Amino acid sequence: MTTSKIKALVLTGYGLNCDIETAHALKLAGADPVRVHINSIIDGSVCLEDFQIMVFVGGFSWGDDHGAGVIQAVRMKHNIGDRLARFIEDGNLVLGICNGFQTIVNLGLLPGFDNNYQHRSVALTYNDCGNFRDDWVTLAINPDSPCVFTKGLTAMELPIRHGEGKFVAAEAIINRLNDDHQAVCQYALPDGTPADNAFPFNPNGSMADIAGICDPTGRVFGLMPHPEAFNHPTNHPHWTFLQEQIKRGVISADALPITGIRMFENAVDFLS
Amino acid sequence: MPHRLEITLKPDLFDAEGQGIRQKASSYFDILIDSIRTVHIITIDAELSDLQRNTVQSEIFTNPVTQESSYDPLPIAFDWCIWVGYRPGVKDNPGSTAVEAIEDVLGIRFKKDEDVYTSRRFCLNGAGLTRSEVELIAGELLSNDIIQQVKIFSRKEWDVKKGIGYNIAKVKLDHTPTVSTIPMDSDEALKTVSHERNLALNDNDVPVIRAYFQDPAVFARRKKMGLSDPTDVELEYISQARSDHCNHNTFGGIFTYTDFETGETQTINSLFKTYIETPTLELKKKKDWVISVLWDNAGVGRFDKDNYYVITGETHNSPSNMEAYGGAITGIVGVYRDPMGTGLGSKLIMGSYGFCVGDRDYKGALKPKLHPRRLLDGVIEGVRDGGNKSGIPTGFGQVTFHPGYMGKCLVFVTALGLMPAKVSGKPSETKTTSPGELIVMCGGRVGKDGIHGVTASSETFSAHTPAGHVQIGDPYTQKKMHDFLLEARDAGLIPFITDNGGGGLSSSVGESALLSNGCEVYLEKVPLKYDGLDQWEIWISESQERMTVAVRPEDIDRFMALSKKHAVESTVIGKYTDSGKLQISYNDVICAYVDMDLLKSGFPKWEFDAEWRPADQRGLYEPILAEPVDYNALLLDMISRPNICSREWITRQYDHEVQGTSVIKPLVGRDRDVYSDATVIRPVLESTRGIVFTQALLPMYSTIDAYHMTTCTIDEAVRRMVAVGGNPDHIGGVDNFCWPDIAYDEKKNPDGKFKAAQLVRSCKALSHMCLTYGIPLLSGKDSMYVDGHLPGRYGESHKVSALETMQFSCIGVIDDIEKCVTMDVKSPGDLVYVLGETKNELGGSEYYDLFGYIGINVPRVDPGKFIPIYHALYQAIEKGLAASAHGVYRGGLGIHLAMMAMAGNLGLDIDLAKVPADGVLRNDTFLFSESAGRFIVTIAPKCQAAFEKLCEKIPCACIGTVRQTPVFDISDGNKNLISLDVAELKAAWKRPFGDLI
Repeated sequence: MTTSKIKALVLTGYGLNCDIETAHALKLAGADPVRVHINSIIDGSVCLEDFQIMVFVGGFSWGDDHGAGVIQAVRMKHNIGDRLARFIEDGNLVLGICNGFQTIVNLGLLPGFDNNYQHRSVALTYNDCGNFRDDWVTLAINPDSPCVFTKGLTAMELPIRHGEGKFVAAEAIINRLNDDHQAVCQYALPDGTPADNAFPFNPNGSMADIAGICDPTGRVFGLMPHPEAFNHPTNHPHWTFLQEQIKRGVISADALPITGIRMFENAVDFLS
Repeated sequence: MPHRLEITLKPDLFDAEGQGIRQKASSYFDILIDSIRTVHIITIDAELSDLQRNTVQSEIFTNPVTQESSYDPLPIAFDWCIWVGYRPGVKDNPGSTAVEAIEDVLGIRFKKDEDVYTSRRFCLNGAGLTRSEVELIAGELLSNDIIQQVKIFSRKEWDVKKGIGYNIAKVKLDHTPTVSTIPMDSDEALKTVSHERNLALNDNDVPVIRAYFQDPAVFARRKKMGLSDPTDVELEYISQARSDHCNHNTFGGIFTYTDFETGETQTINSLFKTYIETPTLELKKKKDWVISVLWDNAGVGRFDKDNYYVITGETHNSPSNMEAYGGAITGIVGVYRDPMGTGLGSKLIMGSYGFCVGDRDYKGALKPKLHPRRLLDGVIEGVRDGGNKSGIPTGFGQVTFHPGYMGKCLVFVTALGLMPAKVSGKPSETKTTSPGELIVMCGGRVGKDGIHGVTASSETFSAHTPAGHVQIGDPYTQKKMHDFLLEARDAGLIPFITDNGGGGLSSSVGESALLSNGCEVYLEKVPLKYDGLDQWEIWISESQERMTVAVRPEDIDRFMALSKKHAVESTVIGKYTDSGKLQISYNDVICAYVDMDLLKSGFPKWEFDAEWRPADQRGLYEPILAEPVDYNALLLDMISRPNICSREWITRQYDHEVQGTSVIKPLVGRDRDVYSDATVIRPVLESTRGIVFTQALLPMYSTIDAYHMTTCTIDEAVRRMVAVGGNPDHIGGVDNFCWPDIAYDEKKNPDGKFKAAQLVRSCKALSHMCLTYGIPLLSGKDSMYVDGHLPGRYGESHKVSALETMQFSCIGVIDDIEKCVTMDVKSPGDLVYVLGETKNELGGSEYYDLFGYIGINVPRVDPGKFIPIYHALYQAIEKGLAASAHGVYRGGLGIHLAMMAMAGNLGLDIDLAKVPADGVLRNDTFLFSESAGRFIVTIAPKCQAAFEKLCEKIPCACIGTVRQTPVFDISDGNKNLISLDVAELKAAWKRPFGDLI
């Protein structure tokens, strides 16, 4: 295995909070993750150039007091905006989960139309239900998407945990995201058909049920659900039921839901 | 000139916040509003150039996709506008992060007097809205006058240029810090000062305090330091340390307990020592997994050979009762500091909540400060923001409604942590301070907030309670500090750590200096939020998000460098010594100089008379109630009662999956919507070991006897743990007592002796249960004075006291999480078993309460009979025989069979005649008796023989089967009693709060 050479940078600090499980997920996927404080990148004591994957993790950066991910994006743009651009240019991978998705959208790394990684044209705003919500969702994954992280996947169940996850953009932008297959994953009914904005399947009122998007290269990916929180079969809400089904021979052991680790494995495979 | 930026969502976007307010106005007050738009206002009180303010506007505070903004009032049409901003001195968290962002983007530093203030205004449209309706919305939905100020504008009153004007909530004290000397010519004089200064000194302590300061030797030593009579700093220090909150005078007091059932009188010297410490120490000897108990901020147990778990539970009742959101967020964020300050510091891995409030739909004449519905909304949101923003899963929780909590609500918060067994090769659970080490304060700054919080929570809530003790916790600042301190711990930089909670520096420094036997503190070094605090205020302020750490002088540079990296403020404020003295100075002038052991001796114990009269002597009896006929309607009504029905709307607001450790979630089943018995997490992601955690609270039984309230509560918590696979040989307990005032007073508290007896009995039961079940008490707290005086309709007021309440938490370790089970029935054809006997025990039950009865046959716990049942079930789960397991709790067998069917979305076919029972003659008793010690278990038919073998020696019977058709059928062996669609049951169960999100 050469995968351990793939170094992944996991951001920490300033109220981020999913760094440990994200690092764990990367490790399970065969990468070598390092948790790095935002200030350590800004002050140059850790170099982005040493990494091939950068993960903007979930949490409440700067308390999310002025819009989720807003201040983190401002801080990153002002201090390491050019280094981030180079990181993407160099063919590396960027993943934004939940607060990280909100941040990279505010940075303009997504949707990255026409190679422009500074333009904000989509947003994640307050859930239509008016509240923070923790629940599991079914995602339909676009098999034609260039997204590196979802290669070979058509559906996945993951937890969402956010108050500001409603995906918003002008109609033309939404159309372009769909046409170019940059709309990577969409909230769906349990059978995989579109949620069509039905609550709680689409938990936040996202336009076109969009849960995650990538840039045109597929190397920058952001999503509201948390793949790192489905890092073990027992994270799945029905695992005790499924276990009984296996015991009784109703389903086979390899029919268990695919965990979120697959997204990280895809990233490692891409770089290997 | 300040800059006032108004920000709002673009008009074509849905304003969820406004919609939420509209819905509440309609459902709470029948006020119809056509539309509401929310405007967020950022008032920057700093000098900025035009370019700078434009940069700030576009780069930080306006999202080009979703928002629009303006430094002039936004031209939004309204019939009424409500502006809400914080009062001066109230923590404005968004204001602080705005300063950080502006400084970063502009590359500037705010000057000393410059700041950012956030507020909001709401633009209401509705032709018929009246000013009084708008005032009601402003006062009851949008603000709390304790922490916020409000302005209301009609369309006519609005000046389109001026808008809301400039509201700078700056604290201006214009006060020179002054140390006062307190004359103490007589006991009476000191008592008067105590009252005037709100010191809350106990009258009996006054002579002891005077004697100390008048001791010639003490006087001479103090004179050398330039002191004579005690200073306010010193008296405040003594007052804090002697408060019931810090010193637990009630639990340490002397009780004269007379039992009128037996006629015997007993003197109990300290409930704590007799009923908590003694059994726990005895059990610690037997259970090698008990690592550290009874002295630190939280208890410590072994998780595996490399890791310890840490647990404690707190309440935050008085502050939440006045400002629900602020009180609750401060409570949860505050309890999270306890594990951070336990041993050398632990990482937080889970939290839980418990809310006890009045009826949500209360329509009576009493007027509490906050209506129960509003109070509940506030505490839910406070724990939500505090937990979610801390990045700690809120894995468990409960809500209890009872009119007794109208006087004062209860807000329980519990915290679990994990720490390595060794830090830099040394045991992590021990710590001490040593002479020469520096005293470092980390985290937030000190302001007037929280002053006299400790003494206020030790008093019954009254109109004179100072509002200053209400605060708003700041999880963001604390999360940064949490990450910093763990890194400093692992670098070996922390020989001692504790949190600043009640009593502030006075408690944290005062107590930690006992270990080194002395300290010097330089109060002028303590970073303040604003100038003008007196020295005593700096010393006792309870400003949140602070830890006190000892750091060796040679490590201080590394410690400070790490602090800077994590953007956490840390300040050296003194040093530990071995002088035997607590020495405090301000700009080199001594303002306190007392012996470290002053608090240790000489103070009189509190004394209580306790008189127990059993329920029959108090006129309680079983109601004359003939058996019902329409069981379908009865079950539907029972299952939709407020204390039984679904509160999914609360659970879903709490992130219970952050950290990626969730194994058994708070909501389980096919639709993920029925409550689990307990929560299981996998705190070390690389391991398949788990922690199981659960809680129980059954205050209704206290009306009959707090002894049985206590035994049943503990038994329920234990069963909840065992039901998911917890090991009955590893149960750690946390007791949280919340009791009404027990000090007898002929006029003010005529039933004080009875309440004191209830407390004694509860402690006796606690001790008995711990010893028989083998539960060491890893941690525990008491909160007394759960009483309030509520105004009524005619200007009179009523004392309302809570039921005697104890929340009990259980924690255990699961060897293999993959063996855990959930309570949803799994498969058609499975056999349904009941373990444990059902008895005629409807006293205090939900069923009797439906009719307004109490009864007298309260459920009894029989450890000798119950414990074998728990071991049998544990074995069955270990062997993989149980497909589902669930305890029988509040509401009885009928309710809990229904829960399992609803969770599995499958039908049940049950024969009540087969239920193991003792003395039960009626079907309503079978269905609704709340006898303890029972479980419902389902198993696959192929496991029948093995399961029955395990259960040979315990009361156990197969009472029916699971079936595919989702119909819930119960018969008594002859005739069908209940036949309901599971969907119909679930609809009824969800109906009361189903519309809430």
